Amino acid sequence: MPLDTPNSGIAVFDPRGVVEAEAIPIGRRHNTLAGLRLGVLSNRKWNGNKLLRATVKALEADTEFASVTFYEKESFSKNADPHLLGEIIADSDIVLTAIGD
Amino acid sequence: MSSDAAVTTQAFPSNGRVADDTDLVEWYYAQGFSDGFPVVPPTPDKVEAMLEALGGDPDYLECRVPPRWGGLTRQVLAVNMVMAGCLPSYAPVVRAAMLALTSQAFNLHGVQATTHMAAPLLVVNGPIRNAIGMNSGHNVFGSGNRANATIGRAIRMILLNAGGGWPGELDKSTLGHPGKYTYCIAENEEVGCIAPYHVDKGFEETDSTVFVMPAEPPHSVTNHVANDPEGILDSIVSAMSTIAHNNAVSSGHCAVVLGPEHARVMAKYEWKRHDIRHYLWYQAHNKFGDVAFQHRYGKVYNRSLPKWYSRRDGDRIPVVPTPDHIHLFCAGGEAGRFSAFIPGWGHMASPVLREINGKSPPGGGPQCVDGTCYL
Repeated sequence: MPLDTPNSGIAVFDPRGVVEAEAIPIGRRHNTLAGLRLGVLSNRKWNGNKLLRATVKALEADTEFASVTFYEKESFSKNADPHLLGEIIADSDIVLTAIGD
Repeated sequence: MSSDAAVTTQAFPSNGRVADDTDLVEWYYAQGFSDGFPVVPPTPDKVEAMLEALGGDPDYLECRVPPRWGGLTRQVLAVNMVMAGCLPSYAPVVRAAMLALTSQAFNLHGVQATTHMAAPLLVVNGPIRNAIGMNSGHNVFGSGNRANATIGRAIRMILLNAGGGWPGELDKSTLGHPGKYTYCIAENEEVGCIAPYHVDKGFEETDSTVFVMPAEPPHSVTNHVANDPEGILDSIVSAMSTIAHNNAVSSGHCAVVLGPEHARVMAKYEWKRHDIRHYLWYQAHNKFGDVAFQHRYGKVYNRSLPKWYSRRDGDRIPVVPTPDHIHLFCAGGEAGRFSAFIPGWGHMASPVLREINGKSPPGGGPQCVDGTCYL
């Protein structure tokens, strides 16, 4: 509860620490999926893979992609290698990924 | 109370002050700054004393804590330690543990966010254990000791407050485990049957260290009968050789804690650390077919296990890749023929051993101990 005078009341402390973050704009949206290069990033989880492959199959039933390229993270519990991310960005127009534990 | 309610916060007062009649315990609860237990209100005097123990300089940034990445300045570290109930003499241990936890090898981001139940296990070695009154004896994993309880609690408070590991928010653990309140022990070096863990890794006995590893809860191993190493260790092997824990499916590191009575049997037969770890590694295993559920749900390869494992259904799958992935400690009270197996999280993280003041091991690396040398 803020008080009227700066030094009255009891001092309290914030234990959370400051987060320094930079806003990154999201990529532009495509109007159609047809003819795009689809990158598919698997996190290597058993059920994530099942979800991902089923989703790609469903998408391909309605859409003809220019290409579909599958990628894998080294480990489901670690950040993707920056080189892998660079490769995906360079070779894909849109990217699909999934989480399924 | 739902997890959403648990993290609902009031606006923090812009002038850092609240009314004189404020119940501070309830105020910190209302802010969402508690692990569920009442916190010790951090008064300016207590925070100042903790800061002094940390070396002053309140804005000095020790580390950032994922996945929220809150900056752990000495002031923030001191506040969390006071809230957890720590004494200033615990400051070097908590700081060293946080630096170990936020080193890249530990992968704290993954440990905090995983659906698995892993919590960081802390094991303290060296003279600081007794200097600050840590318990390495009876009920070592249990309640009743301020240093063990509040050092571990301070770590959890920091992982919650600075790291944002609130249940259902950035902590996605399905079940969690009680070690997420506090999970901190000291090795019982006084038993003297095996070299202290940190000496095994190249430090001097006069050094003090903290070991951190993401871990499941301890699994008790009972053996009141065997009077030789093989018999006792076979019981530990039995606890290790199941397909349910995370080492079985994700490899990585694990810990074994020998109770003093079991450790004395090892010493009687002159079994050293390397004998114990190698026996456990050699004997503990599953069959690949069992790990793969006999392929009942589809052909399983399991890329979380090392690629050099042979994967025919009858092939032996070690619980961890090498004997060095078994971290052996001696702890607990003098009476009782019990030990414990502590599964780890998996290959996704590496344990970290850090000297309390950050110095490297003598000679720059591990030395020969008990007849075995480690790189």
